[in-house]
Amino acid sequence: MESKTWTTCPFCGVGCGIVIHTRGGRMAWADDDPVNPSSRGMLCVKGRFGTRFVQHPDRLTTPLVRRGGELEPASWDEALDYVAERLLTYRGRFGSFASAKATNEDAFVQQKFVRLVMGTNNIDHCTRLCHSPSVEAMLDQLGSGATSNSYADYEDASCLVLVGCDPGSNHPVIASRMRRAVDDYGTRLVVVNPKRIDLAERADVFLRPLPGTDVALFNGMARAILDDELEDRVFIDRRTEGFNAWRQAVMTSTVEEYAATCGVSAAELREAARLYASPPPRRGLAAGERPGSCLAWGMGITQHAHGTDNARALINLALLTGQLGRPGCGISPLRGQNNVQGCGDAGCIPDSLPGYQPFAGDVAAIFEEAWGAGIPREPGLKATDMVERIAAGDIRAMYVVGENPLLSEPNLAHAEGLFRQLDFLVVQDLFLHETAHLAHVVLPACSFAEKDGTFTNSERRVQRVRPAIPPVGSSRPDWAIVADLARRMAPRVGVDPRQFAYSSGAEVFAEMARLTPQLRGISWARLEDEGGIQWPCPEPGHPGTRYLYADRFPRGLGKFVPVQQSVPAAELPDADYPFVLNTGRVLYHWHGGTITRRVAALVDQMPEVPVVINPADATRQGIAEGDIVIVRSRRGRMSGKAVVTDAVREGSVFVPFVKLQESAANFLTNNVYDEPSRIPEYKVCAVCVEKKRPRPAELTAAPPTVSRDR
Amino acid sequence: MRVDGRDVEPAGTILDAVLALGIPIPHLCKDDNLPPIGACRTCLVEADGRVVAACHTPAAGVDEVYTGSERAARIRRAVLRLTARMHGPEPDAEGGPRSSELWAAYDLNGVERPASPRRTRGSLDSSSPFFSFDEQACILCGCCVSACQQLQHIGAIGIAGTGTRAKVTPGTGVSFAASICTACGSCVAACPTHALRPAPERPGERLGIPGEG
Ligand code: SF4
Ligand code: SF4
Ligand code: SF4
Ligand code: FES
Repeated sequence: MESKTWTTCPFCGVGCGIVIHTRGGRMAWADDDPVNPSSRGMLCVKGRFGTRFVQHPDRLTTPLVRRGGELEPASWDEALDYVAERLLTYRGRFGSFASAKATNEDAFVQQKFVRLVMGTNNIDHCTRLCHSPSVEAMLDQLGSGATSNSYADYEDASCLVLVGCDPGSNHPVIASRMRRAVDDYGTRLVVVNPKRIDLAERADVFLRPLPGTDVALFNGMARAILDDELEDRVFIDRRTEGFNAWRQAVMTSTVEEYAATCGVSAAELREAARLYASPPPRRGLAAGERPGSCLAWGMGITQHAHGTDNARALINLALLTGQLGRPGCGISPLRGQNNVQGCGDAGCIPDSLPGYQPFAGDVAAIFEEAWGAGIPREPGLKATDMVERIAAGDIRAMYVVGENPLLSEPNLAHAEGLFRQLDFLVVQDLFLHETAHLAHVVLPACSFAEKDGTFTNSERRVQRVRPAIPPVGSSRPDWAIVADLARRMAPRVGVDPRQFAYSSGAEVFAEMARLTPQLRGISWARLEDEGGIQWPCPEPGHPGTRYLYADRFPRGLGKFVPVQQSVPAAELPDADYPFVLNTGRVLYHWHGGTITRRVAALVDQMPEVPVVINPADATRQGIAEGDIVIVRSRRGRMSGKAVVTDAVREGSVFVPFVKLQESAANFLTNNVYDEPSRIPEYKVCAVCVEKKRPRPAELTAAPPTVSRDR
Repeated sequence: MRVDGRDVEPAGTILDAVLALGIPIPHLCKDDNLPPIGACRTCLVEADGRVVAACHTPAAGVDEVYTGSERAARIRRAVLRLTARMHGPEPDAEGGPRSSELWAAYDLNGVERPASPRRTRGSLDSSSPFFSFDEQACILCGCCVSACQQLQHIGAIGIAGTGTRAKVTPGTGVSFAASICTACGSCVAACPTHALRPAPERPGERLGIPGEG
């Protein structure tokens, strides 16, 4: 029996439509969806060939409870009663991580549980580790943290500026749409990246700034725009504030000085600025229409100790040129996980309620009315702070859903030490990963292929997820597990258990839509009839919104915020650690690799962690392509396979943060943080690299360490 | 516009109209995601007295279409017979989503399936862990090349050589694994035969109880 299920890719934030073909209850093939407006019939290797992980034999099939030191199988009743009993004693010293891989419905129920039953706002998700600086800056300057444009706008733009991102590896289908713009419409392309990414091949201007000098670069572009008088005066007058103070700050240096700080040519910096502010119209642009520019950025901007400043400098550029609020322009922080947008929308953040609504005044009262009990109104702890506060005893118990912090946190050895100090840790996931090994209770969750729900992609499109196969083992959807637990605990804390008596995901979504103005017009019934809908969608007759900020910003006027280049990074190379380590992702693996390590073909394609190094440095260190090398920082070491190419600058090495063969870059990275967003500085730390020396025979003869994960 | 005597909205191409009525005619080189290529000539129909390729003839302005007219059916069968001479028998392997279209086209039009393998076109590229290319089954329709170039804008593959030497390849003497192919699989999805097909699932990936595999 062959059947087809229309659903949404579980990997990245592009949110491609996929059609899963099942044969005999088994996933056989994942096909593209020609009518999905986000992916238009495309997929990348992960969506097409990578979804078989859901049928991997390592899937957790039953709850596990730690007894006498060992994790042992237990029934759902046993496990949930135990968790309920223990968590009741940790109210006030509790924190929770939500999953940006799970559905909006999962996220909504989890934040409701944490706020209503656990009485705390200590809930957060991985946005802290990727785009919190962007969100922080955008909320402050514009009043919304979302991508303003749609993917269609990349094709309508006359210029694309890609900063610190590698869509070819991380958002492949967006990359295809950008290539289409360049190839078919002659759209200009500016790439800013210390690494030579694939798209740089098509770039009109390719800038490779020194690591950590981004603020200077964008201020330099702003200065060049002001020098050429290419700013959008009308937009600045009508739509923004703070221009003069900001202008003064930018005028303190010349384009040449800025360029020198970044190690790029002043002429190219000017050319990039010119293209962004006023690109020549792309082929086919309607006469009289102003050519637009899209600005997209990634982790190369945010994962720095001054990530928020970087994002601010970019937003200032968009305000200066008025490249916002029309078709073919906009700003996009390219989101990593499939549902990182939705997880934040659903309220899994410590400082606001669903829909980014503040705790203040009426809003909290509306939620309290709907939920029939009080909720805390002080902001909770951010993910990175929750972990750091374990040491002080402020956090004694944690509930981690669909995340593996012991692979994704910076300075892994330090983080593992902290997690071990917890009194009680519950992990809910598909696989028994590094963090789950330390848990007291492990709860098996359904994968995307087994559940009903919605994901929200990078262009704010809410799309359906539908079950293609029955749940593996006795696994259950995340929202159902959390709701079941909440029902067990609710009477003990004065909450009506009927608050968690959902019978379906649709019911959860309906409650979320009712309480969240930007989603109010969306329902599962509409998604069924019309396909994905882009929020804001304030009422049932509303078609959804292709681009934001057409007439106003959510905060009223857009705000210029002066920023100045500070020390490039907290840790810089020195004699002992002469290289700058840059981390990122690769096409063939997903993030830390908990999932993609379980797809044989993806592992074949890239079996070892690559350590990418410039030829000049390689020669100096006596390293050849394919050598096993050791990378060391002040915090740890890892090994990998050398890839020698001038795609990276001299003096820097690039290591993706996937963990393969028990080696991972985050053993090296630095746990220093950006204020105010508290993102760790993944992108810059000092390391040394050397060729691995063969070990004496008696050492290598010992039995190999058993890998926990395979 | 009328197709086989039934009224239909003349939107898009003739093929769109025909398929909208649920009439099964082969259309091996027309993929949902791609503009018409017009290479395989298996979609021939008679439109206002002329035999045309339905996939790239606009429906607007056409009045009467016959999919099964004597003339159209005869030429279509001839084209399919020539197509069948290009490749070998159905391989014992799971294909991509469109693989069955070729065999269905033969059955529907009463054309015999090829029984023996083609000796001259026998290369197999299984260098990619995600899919393989089996020249034996290729009908040179060009869907894969078009998917790579016009849909994904990657341009990793092309058709090299002419006549009997024509061959789909990621570059002369280059395997898929060694090419700029990103394994996006759009070519595999577009292939109407078993030529580009996904790699079989491996034992460790099957659904099972922990400890198995
Ligand atoms: S681009 Fe992202 S969403 Fe699309 S198939 Fe690839 S991983 Fe999935
Ligand atoms: S490989 Fe498939 S799609 Fe490509 S030309 Fe051959 S038959 Fe057509
Ligand atoms: S899988 Fe490779 S050859 Fe096929 S379309 Fe994608 S990039 Fe091109
Ligand atoms: S489908 Fe019309 S010519 Fe191939």
